[in-house]
Amino acid sequence: MKKSEVCVIVSIIIFIFSLAYITSLGGLGYLPPVDVRKLAQIYLSSTYNPFEPTNTSSGYESVTAIVWDFRGLDTFFETAVFYGAIIASIAVYRGVSISTKKKPIGMSPIAKTITRLSTVLIPTVAASIAFHGHLTPGGGFQAGSVATVVIVLIVMVFGLRKVILKGLTKPKILLLRSLGLVGIGLTAIGLVLAGLVIGVNAYIFQNQAKPIAHISYPMWIDDILVGGSLLLFNLFEFVAVMAGFALVLMLFSIEEEEVRKVIK
Amino acid sequence: MEFPIIVASVIVVSLYVNLGIALYGIFARPSLVKKLLAITILSDTANAFAVLVGYRWPRTGTPQPPVLMNTTNYNESIKYYVEHAVDPLPQALVLTAIVIGLAVTLFIAFIIIQYYRLHGTVDVRKTKALSR
Repeated sequence: MKKSEVCVIVSIIIFIFSLAYITSLGGLGYLPPVDVRKLAQIYLSSTYNPFEPTNTSSGYESVTAIVWDFRGLDTFFETAVFYGAIIASIAVYRGVSISTKKKPIGMSPIAKTITRLSTVLIPTVAASIAFHGHLTPGGGFQAGSVATVVIVLIVMVFGLRKVILKGLTKPKILLLRSLGLVGIGLTAIGLVLAGLVIGVNAYIFQNQAKPIAHISYPMWIDDILVGGSLLLFNLFEFVAVMAGFALVLMLFSIEEEEVRKVIK
Repeated sequence: MEFPIIVASVIVVSLYVNLGIALYGIFARPSLVKKLLAITILSDTANAFAVLVGYRWPRTGTPQPPVLMNTTNYNESIKYYVEHAVDPLPQALVLTAIVIGLAVTLFIAFIIIQYYRLHGTVDVRKTKALSR
């Protein structure tokens, strides 16, 4: 082992022990804590609180309420970072085209049959996660990631050329991703637009009525808790995340010789 | 020592070990692929730390996930929920961090593949020799 490598290892060990010592002095507090912080108590008590109608979100799930309601604007910009990374990945593959003249290469009939079954089952699970995001753990991000699995599976088992021949092309996925993003944007300003039309106050990212903005997304439809804007955000995020990841993972599976043609 | 404290201590120690492995991978390994793997270990360790800080062990009963499950008597159930549910904020932050982390990891993977196509290696020492 080289001297420099030993220095790095010793430095890391010293750093880790110092960090552990500092945090053991009370940096992380008593672990596990008995109480949650005041802020968490406020979030928990106002996730669904029919006794405070101007201070409540509209789902039973606190994490989704925080992600898309209490800290909705944060999530919006985090989503922007996410798409920045996706767009940057696409930019690296600019100019790379896939030839559909060659015969698609796929796996065995057993793998194909299993994949055909999965193309029904996996999106069903994903849709369930997205639609129940405001009631049970889950939401648009998780559902989108689950749904991406089926697209990757199809690409791997049937071959990328077959997928493109069937009509799932790059512009179409880009369109789907853009529709998801536009949906998120419109849901964020939906109440502001409605407020302009009927002449009342409303905020960006408003979900339920506030003291000086008496307008809200529907929380209940009949006796089903639909979660107001939470459901819409989850659905659009589901579409956008699925399309974004599917696009990047499809680019990953382009043949090496096709990419080499572009690199000079 | 009580059971929750033992479990929390074991988790904290293992997270520090993970942190050490990740830092070693980032600083000492010459391969860019191994650096990327180490970065993902580092981000997962940070996320697990955040979730651990938001965990709780209430005085009575057991901890509850941050989902309001009893919807019969809201007055009672919300009070019980606030007293027993874990902190949802770190979970919300970690949720978005994981997805963004995955997208950024994919981008870095693209860059590394492209780097390999251009230089024929992912070893940073060999690239240093190439630039001379």
